[in-house]
Amino acid sequence: MKRQRRLCCIGVCSAVVLALGAAAPARWLATDGVKVRLEPTELGGPKIVVEYDLKDPNVTPESPAYVFLRYSQDSGDTWQLVPMDALRGNGFDIVDKPGHKEVLWWGIDQTGVADLAQIEVRVRAIAMAKVPAGRFTMKSLPGGGLDESGATRPDPNLPLYYIAKYETTIAMYADYLNEVGGEGAGWNARMARPERCGIIQEGNHTYSVSPGREDYPVTYVSWYDAMGFLRWCGLRLPTEAEWEKAVRGGLYLDGDRTADIHRDPNPLPERRYPWGDEDPNADGVYRCNFDGADDGFERLAPVGSFQRFASPYGVCDLAGNVAEWTLDWYSTSYHAGLDGFRMVRGGSWMAVPEGCDAVTGATQLPLQESSIMGFRGVRGPAATPR
Amino acid sequence: MDTLNRRAFLRSSLGVAGTLALWPPARARGANDKIVVGVMGLGGRGTYLAEKFAERSDAEVAYLCDPNTRRFARAREAVEEAQDRPPKMLQDFRKMLDDKSVDVIINATPDHWHALGSILACQAGKDVFVEKPLAHNIWEGRKMVEAARKHQRVVQVGMQSRSAPYVQKARDYILAGKLGEVYLVRVYNMMQHPKQADTPDGPVPDGFDYELWCGPAPKRPYNPSRQWLNQWDYSCGPIAGDAVHQFDLARFLTGDIPYPKAVSQTGAIRVLRGGRDMPDTQMALFEYDNLTITLDATLWTPYMKKIPAGIRDSDQFPNWPFCATKVEVLGTEGFMYFGRHGGGWQAYDRDGELVHSEYGRQGDKEHQDNFVECVRSRKRATSDVEIGHLSVLPFHIANISYRVGNQRLEFDGATESFTNCDEANQYLKRQYRPGWTIPENV
Repeated sequence: MKRQRRLCCIGVCSAVVLALGAAAPARWLATDGVKVRLEPTELGGPKIVVEYDLKDPNVTPESPAYVFLRYSQDSGDTWQLVPMDALRGNGFDIVDKPGHKEVLWWGIDQTGVADLAQIEVRVRAIAMAKVPAGRFTMKSLPGGGLDESGATRPDPNLPLYYIAKYETTIAMYADYLNEVGGEGAGWNARMARPERCGIIQEGNHTYSVSPGREDYPVTYVSWYDAMGFLRWCGLRLPTEAEWEKAVRGGLYLDGDRTADIHRDPNPLPERRYPWGDEDPNADGVYRCNFDGADDGFERLAPVGSFQRFASPYGVCDLAGNVAEWTLDWYSTSYHAGLDGFRMVRGGSWMAVPEGCDAVTGATQLPLQESSIMGFRGVRGPAATPR
Repeated sequence: MDTLNRRAFLRSSLGVAGTLALWPPARARGANDKIVVGVMGLGGRGTYLAEKFAERSDAEVAYLCDPNTRRFARAREAVEEAQDRPPKMLQDFRKMLDDKSVDVIINATPDHWHALGSILACQAGKDVFVEKPLAHNIWEGRKMVEAARKHQRVVQVGMQSRSAPYVQKARDYILAGKLGEVYLVRVYNMMQHPKQADTPDGPVPDGFDYELWCGPAPKRPYNPSRQWLNQWDYSCGPIAGDAVHQFDLARFLTGDIPYPKAVSQTGAIRVLRGGRDMPDTQMALFEYDNLTITLDATLWTPYMKKIPAGIRDSDQFPNWPFCATKVEVLGTEGFMYFGRHGGGWQAYDRDGELVHSEYGRQGDKEHQDNFVECVRSRKRATSDVEIGHLSVLPFHIANISYRVGNQRLEFDGATESFTNCDEANQYLKRQYRPGWTIPENV
């Protein structure tokens, strides 16, 4: 059952409105009733007010939505991200409950817009998982153990961040391409392969998704493609540390930097897999999508197919399906840093079961793309790749 | 040492039952048959080669092997994308040697597996494409030559620069006397390597056959941070492993001189202290009959750059003073800058005037073409096993000099041994673990 319905409100305002079944919030979260109006203010110049309803009942402080707005001033030919620091209200960035939202966009006159007829706005929301600040156990070696800094132990205290609950899907990526892929950037011909990806380039650099492939993770994306998508929506790649903490959880699942007395100790802070220490196929139960079809998927699986085996923070598919790009460098000895290898984590649908654990990493040239690599985004403090 | 053939080896080390048989000749092959390839070692280089051979219309990759199953996915994906037929995945490469349909083994393992893996492949009647540096030590290199000759195998060494057309042009230019008499060649390998992390030993990860990975080398406690390139047990060093490309070019450009008579060397660990056996600084002087080759090698010089990707296959030259992988050829009448990686070359006359420039392109494709062609024709390959042996041998001598206190070592090519230092002769060959030995008679 595929669940996407895409409605574009053309005219004064257009917004992508995606209705998703509650059981599988695999792509943009459901927003509805987008309204945009321009209001004068006494001293601050005009502001735009964007109202919408965040429909997904599963949005909570622990599983919030990341909401970003993009706008066009040229009838949809080009689009830009509305800077978060230009916004106020209850419906942008990390939004922790569903309901009616109102976003005020200040400084719209700085964009040269004086008339609402000149602008279109799109609102999109991504399902996120909250990872509270605090210590965790990192067992992998950053940069594959070749970190040039010589510091092999990362800071076990990470600040609060949010990580996408699902790998970026084909449908999401196709939306991105349709906004920015006018010259073909971000797309390559291999993405058209229906069994391993399924994004078709139509004439005039528009993109469609092979029927039924909407919820599958996007593949054949280079590190730069991933970064392009994430910059488009205001996110970034996770560091290796962030990725690994998302798998295992912190020492206290509700964080340990606050003065709160209540703490929720992590029963398995050194777990091997998101769900615990059991092998991915222990007792004939398949917990993620790895090599072979016994897990129900010969190749890729729709994101969230193994939701029952999510991480302590509810993050899905960190094990298997697609290996995921991270922000971090790999220092390779022969190439003297020329090639800028990056780390990929998490195993894939082609990996052996043990290769889907919390510590296995692979190195890849950033221009490399393949059918076993994808990505997800993070919202958090600026991070320096290690 | 007892003679040991591959099946006996398999029986002793694997407990695999098998019937003794004469090794078959190369498979009878029609002109349109594809070369069937098996790959040992699925690191970066092995994966690259697997993909390149899978992309060829005249080859097919049938096996991908690595003791570490975590390496399977990336290589398999690359091969599956490049050819219709999926490869078989194995941890133990020896099982594919029994498959008579396999023509060729690509050996892209760490240095300590180059010899044993390639010799077993030769014994099994396979041709071999083995990565550089040819061997872990001098004795092993000689045994690889012997195995290739005895079993009439094509063995190509992954020193692909030899196959680049611009290199041949430079050789012709020099051998035609355009630089006068050449008495000095300077080889550079000025790198920036990371410091090896210092972490405790740990358990061997699931899915990693560490016993097999160690093979002929000592089975040290597993340490996730240990870089095999930095350890004598597993490698002849990151300097030898990379600089051998330039050194091979130096030999090629000057007419493939065979053995140095003596090697002086000074080496030390200056910067990358901790966890490594190998020097991070090496300067060596190789004395040949009518030629001296010098080596300047470091692992801590960030301003020295390998030739950037944008220059490698373009009509540009590298910034020579800061080119990390250049060769300088000094003749009585002229001078040449030469760049690896398709960096091209430029010649200057006695007044320092530029008199000839030649852009370059990398030779990987030509090198692989040459190998496939030789597999069919049974001719010796461009970087034949003996060439590989003679190009890495000087580094082995320099390394031995380092290990015996930076002594000047005199070398006899006829016996491939030292004439002025008994201690040095102890390093000609390694100690083998039982069950993983290379026999005297290959």
